[in-house]
Amino acid sequence: MNRRGKNKRLRLALYIASLSIFFVAAFMASIMIGSYQLSPSGVIESIINPGRDPVASSIVLGYRIPRVLFASLTGLVLGISGGVIQTLTRNPLADPYITGMSSGAALGAAIAFVAPIFPYYAVPAMAFVGGVSMLMLSIFLSKKAGAGSMGFILAGIAVGTFASAILMVVLAISSEKAHGILYWLFGSFSTSTWGDFQVALAVSLPALLFVLYKARDLNILLLGEEHAAQLGIDSKRLWLLLLLSASLAVSVCVSFCGIIGFIGLVAPHMVRLVIGSDNRFVLPLAGFTGSLLIVIADDIVRNPLNPIAEMPVGSVTSMIGVPFFVYLLIKKGKSFGM
Amino acid sequence: MACSLVVDGIKVELGSSRILDNVEISVGGGDMLAIIGPNGSGKTTLLRCISRSIYPASGAIIVCGRPAREYSNSEYSRIVSAMLPQWPSGFSMKSYEIVLMGCRNQAKGVWWEGDRELEIARSALRILNAMDLYERDFDTLSSGEQRKVLIAKSLAQRTGIILLDEPVAYLDMKHKLEVMTVLRELADMGKTVLLTLHEIDLASKYCENVVVLSHGKVVAAGKPKEVVTSELLRSVYGVDAVVKWDEEIDYPVIVPRSRRIPKGEASCLV
Repeated sequence: MNRRGKNKRLRLALYIASLSIFFVAAFMASIMIGSYQLSPSGVIESIINPGRDPVASSIVLGYRIPRVLFASLTGLVLGISGGVIQTLTRNPLADPYITGMSSGAALGAAIAFVAPIFPYYAVPAMAFVGGVSMLMLSIFLSKKAGAGSMGFILAGIAVGTFASAILMVVLAISSEKAHGILYWLFGSFSTSTWGDFQVALAVSLPALLFVLYKARDLNILLLGEEHAAQLGIDSKRLWLLLLLSASLAVSVCVSFCGIIGFIGLVAPHMVRLVIGSDNRFVLPLAGFTGSLLIVIADDIVRNPLNPIAEMPVGSVTSMIGVPFFVYLLIKKGKSFGM
Repeated sequence: MACSLVVDGIKVELGSSRILDNVEISVGGGDMLAIIGPNGSGKTTLLRCISRSIYPASGAIIVCGRPAREYSNSEYSRIVSAMLPQWPSGFSMKSYEIVLMGCRNQAKGVWWEGDRELEIARSALRILNAMDLYERDFDTLSSGEQRKVLIAKSLAQRTGIILLDEPVAYLDMKHKLEVMTVLRELADMGKTVLLTLHEIDLASKYCENVVVLSHGKVVAAGKPKEVVTSELLRSVYGVDAVVKWDEEIDYPVIVPRSRRIPKGEASCLV
């Protein structure tokens, strides 16, 4: 008994240590790589002594640091929210997008792109509105159906499919603007600014703190509403509050950077493989893992020769995420639980 | 600590069928009451009504002199604990994690379990002689072992009223007796224990009172010695049996008369 406890602590320490090392490396790389290559000492120089090389300093402080901070925050949000939504829906395959949110956000963004009445900066706002309203619709439909978490997943799929169908129509009738929409759909951090980061942080931080604060009760919610209620949890209210918090955090990030798939699905499972299903460990570490994965993906997409022709980060995360997911599915098979 | 429980004429309907019909039960503090009856007689539904998983269409459940509906979840969880089957599976959880969930209702901190909670969880498992399951993965346990962990979870809630749905199902004879003895002792210490049982002999041995449910109605209630008779077994279970009460060891002996399947019925299975 004692020995296993020690084992767990050792694995936890190793996991955190390796996450930290990789994260620092990927974070530094993210500041260094690009059309204007910098050395590690050049990065430090440009921050400490901005007068020496004004161009480098403006790139580092004005573009690269907000970009990597925003990418990290998005990974944190996707990882934690993924863990929360998997637990709330009691479905190990759920991620922040199963709630119908991503399709809703995409639809909102597409409408803002196409309709002439919206200025360019309305895209994130409309994505946010679209995502949250589709989420609300999913919740409303599943409450009407009264089928619990399974009903919620089915409602989410129905709502998401419907929103995607409308999105296709919007894309079809706006052929010349379709490229811009598609680029957003793939996800990218190349346009992230300090402003994006500040807004996303202000909205998502309280939501994340609330979710983490409730991690122990979230463990009990995994048992379902009936058992959780008997153990003294105000389960219906807590379920809704946690879902809204997780979704709010996701939609504000997604509305700036577009859709980034598979992080919310994969990050919590990577953590569960190492330390089990206790959300008090899973959630913070899934957030950290999500940050690392996204920053790595954002390093991979850089194109030093032509900064305009970056790869979409969302497709890179999916390309890394899907093989890992398939590996989990096959390797863990029956015990692919939470 | 001692809490009374009154079930006052509750009705439960599911679609067009009536699951519970005007059920009335009253248990005083420190009593141990067994609900017996054939499969589908409404025993589990009754427990789920008292544990507030379902609300009866009419009638009331009064707990400690106050209608059950009026309690908040957290108040109710400190008065009534329920060991219901259909525990969700597929989430690799350790036994002690499940037992610790029972302590949530008394937790002071919201984040970590305190030493006090760990102590309660351990003693709940220890009293059931199940400490060897402490670190085991719940899903890898046998049905009987899972029962014990779930009972420990209910005990860890430290409530005045304990509801248990077939607590000794899947357990072997030794463990059945162990669990029943623990429940009896808790009742002697002032807890109100309400359980459903298929083992009529165990119910008669350990409980002050039994209630017999059949088709959602209470058909008999009272002291086991008066209620458990061969007439009852025939009319409620449709079983022909001899019931002999052994005065010396104070234990009922139930010997069913064997009944042959009508000729030809089973021939197509051979």
